[in-house]
Amino acid sequence: MISMDMDNISRFVSELMKKGFDDVAAKIEVVDSVMVKIANSSVSVVQSWKRMPVDLYLAKNKRIFILHFEPKSLEDLQKPIDSIIPLANRVTESPIYAPLPEPSKIRYVEEVVDKRVIEAANNMSNIAERVIEVAHRESIESVAGMLQVGYVETALATSRGALLGEKKTFIQGYLRAFAQPDGSGQWCYTSTTLDLSGLESMAFTASRYAVDSRNRSEVEPGVYDVILSPMVFANLLEYIISMTSAMHVIMGWSMFMKNSPGDAVASPLLTILDEPRNTELPNFRSFDDEGVETYNKSVIEEGVLKVFLHNTKTATFMNTKTTANAGWMIPVPWNIVVRPGTATIDEMVAEVRRGLLITNNWYTRLQNYVEGVFSTVARDAIFYIENGRIARPITKVRIADRFGNILKNVAMLGRELYNIQWWEVRTPTKTPYILIKNVNISKHTI
Amino acid sequence: MQSLEDLLLYALKVAGELGASYAEARYHKVDSTGFVSRNGVVISAYSEVSEGVAVRVLADGGLGFASTNMLGKEGVQRVVELAVSRARAHARLLKSPISFSDARLGRARYSIAPVKGFTSLSLEEKLALHREFWERVSESVKEAKVPVTTLWYSEWTEEKLIMNTDGAYISSAIPRLTVEYNTVVHHPQKGYAQRFAFFGASGGLEWLEKWRLVESGGEEARAIERVLLEGVEPPKEAVPVVVGSEVVALIVHESCGHPSEADRILGREAAQAGKSFIKPSMLGQRIGNEYATVIDDPTIPGSYGFYLYDDEGVVARARYLYKEGAINEFLHNRATAKTFGVESNAAARAMDYASEPIVRMANTYLKPGDHRFEELLEDIKLGVYMKSYMEWNIDDERWSQRYVGLEAYIIENGELTKPVRNPVLEITTKAFYSNIDAVGKELRFYAGTCGKGEPSQGVPVWFGGPDVRLRSARLGVVA
Repeated sequence: MISMDMDNISRFVSELMKKGFDDVAAKIEVVDSVMVKIANSSVSVVQSWKRMPVDLYLAKNKRIFILHFEPKSLEDLQKPIDSIIPLANRVTESPIYAPLPEPSKIRYVEEVVDKRVIEAANNMSNIAERVIEVAHRESIESVAGMLQVGYVETALATSRGALLGEKKTFIQGYLRAFAQPDGSGQWCYTSTTLDLSGLESMAFTASRYAVDSRNRSEVEPGVYDVILSPMVFANLLEYIISMTSAMHVIMGWSMFMKNSPGDAVASPLLTILDEPRNTELPNFRSFDDEGVETYNKSVIEEGVLKVFLHNTKTATFMNTKTTANAGWMIPVPWNIVVRPGTATIDEMVAEVRRGLLITNNWYTRLQNYVEGVFSTVARDAIFYIENGRIARPITKVRIADRFGNILKNVAMLGRELYNIQWWEVRTPTKTPYILIKNVNISKHTI
Repeated sequence: MQSLEDLLLYALKVAGELGASYAEARYHKVDSTGFVSRNGVVISAYSEVSEGVAVRVLADGGLGFASTNMLGKEGVQRVVELAVSRARAHARLLKSPISFSDARLGRARYSIAPVKGFTSLSLEEKLALHREFWERVSESVKEAKVPVTTLWYSEWTEEKLIMNTDGAYISSAIPRLTVEYNTVVHHPQKGYAQRFAFFGASGGLEWLEKWRLVESGGEEARAIERVLLEGVEPPKEAVPVVVGSEVVALIVHESCGHPSEADRILGREAAQAGKSFIKPSMLGQRIGNEYATVIDDPTIPGSYGFYLYDDEGVVARARYLYKEGAINEFLHNRATAKTFGVESNAAARAMDYASEPIVRMANTYLKPGDHRFEELLEDIKLGVYMKSYMEWNIDDERWSQRYVGLEAYIIENGELTKPVRNPVLEITTKAFYSNIDAVGKELRFYAGTCGKGEPSQGVPVWFGGPDVRLRSARLGVVA
């Protein structure tokens, strides 16, 4: 473990102010992590990182500069920073400039530094062996995936006097199992503490889906009721909730450009929260990049858009208050949590006359962000549901619809939440299985 | 002060002393600067420097990678120790030891000299580009409005020094220019249409003249407005489809380049970007007709994916992935080449110092033919021309894919007539390469950032192609 010198960071910010900047914020992270990649039930590579990225926000005469460095030391930054100064009066004033906020007292969430996670960095082979073994308890051919543990220290200093620090550990993993002749299943897990049962459950679920999805057939494209697994819904939410970022609205990257807080945008059954203070999920934090205390909030509450995610700049631009989601330029969700329903998966399946259960997806892309027109490729275990029962595994379909329809057609939510974070879901998310009515399903025509 | 060369040599020495059978050390610096604007006004300037050392070792048959930006002897020694010890610790979980093929390794220094350096335009001239782009685009539409354009402008330079225990020594410096823009067009009754465009190349500001950003931004806005106001649905029946070079370029990247990556074929990316419909034994099998020749060539001057030696120090060359309809060659690094019993063809690339080199494309394109654009259209009584796209995706074995046209037109009696709104080409790889019945003569390249690996690495690539005519395809529409 490395400990940062907070006085040194504070001095660094003071020195930058002496160079004539009006606002300075410095975020310094120390990251120590290890990742084991698995392929064909073997280890393909072990990757280790020891990094110290430094991010700087500088403003002078309402001109904004965002800098990112990975220097040997803070002293190494003087030269590139000095090169910015002559630009300051030649760049145009930023229309979204607002002064950094005054610091307020931060109530810290309970710090999660799990020593077992730190120790696991040197013992990853045992964990990898364990999950591979659990996966192979089912009759599968092989597994591929990733296991990662890490420790992160973050320090933030601003010219307004904020001097804040936080430490955390994280553990993430995902596994994709393959079963002859054509079965595959994928699942993931994410946490801030070492929980082997979560990883084992991940391995078991991936293998179970692989075995259950063998001998696939095809279905016709059309409109189906669709049960999305937490893997799939988390992926769609990553796009949808990022579009509640006020900067994405301002920049033309959002289906919510046409909306204001207070608008009904989803089924009344659906409540989605941003939970930076949920310490179970790795993106928890007590303060944002402007040094503002974070708070949990509904982004969509019973179908109603409650807030855009703001930093001080976007909030000033839109004449409202920050939601402590800075990102100096782009406000971001921290941890996404869906309020659970009461249904079991079996109860959801029983509701469906003609539908699909999609357990994984990838490659979500949009034709039009403003109208939310998208498609995503269903992958791994997909099941055709007929008259309330899972009938058979199928393959080669995609969801091709509008995000607005997906949100409005939510019909049932599962009662169990799953921790999701993997290659296609970067923002840690807790979500249940979810039933969406009348979803357009497409497939290739030749 | 210690030189970078000394530091890398030290890393190789430590790895050898710790018992690594192979070691590679890479100093890698990516230095970028740019501006982001909205409606012509810069909202922020940015500067990024990513600089550090990556070490990769083979120890007891295991592959270890470690990296740090703490560029002292002590920091580098620490990551070498981590790479070796952790590779060794996991060796017992290997089904078979990892090893590298022999390869033509280089000892060279090279760099790109831009025709017009990044300082050949003043800051004010660069900022004027943002303003002029907005003015042209917003004035180009008549009935509709442009509520927002955003434009990203980046100048960046990638410097590397690569050394390994097999004798490679490659020093390189490649400057690149990247411009991206987003245009939203709105009509109160017709809704919204949106264009995202990406330009990139190696070299300098000479590319700004070639790209004609202001002119093409205006032309596109006008074309998108027409699609929004007058766009019709594509014919319901199967018709000939002229696929524009922009779409062809993406198709060959997705449905030839990616499935030809040997690491994907071997299952190394199975849990991330997926496997491949191509199996190890499929070299020589047919995937299309005689028009299906796809080449990936890192050595194209000025290309966004340009390099002369890969990140394992192997000499780069053109790779013929599909050749006259047959699966012909895979993209290899030294590890996959060893498995297949061939030489590496220099496809190992890493995004930055924190990334392991993995098998990647560089500049992938469909071989051009002999038709002028008018000749592709002239025999078509009723068809569709799909010039550009926004939405696309492909399944993880690279078989079933979807491209949604943005600027598209009905072809009637050999002429382009009404615009088509959101036509969907949803097609398998084999159907695409088997249905080409004529190929244009003009090869055009498009830039992109290709994503792969864990942690995900985005590397600069070009993809290219001419316009091609598909004999017959049934197009869909978006929901």
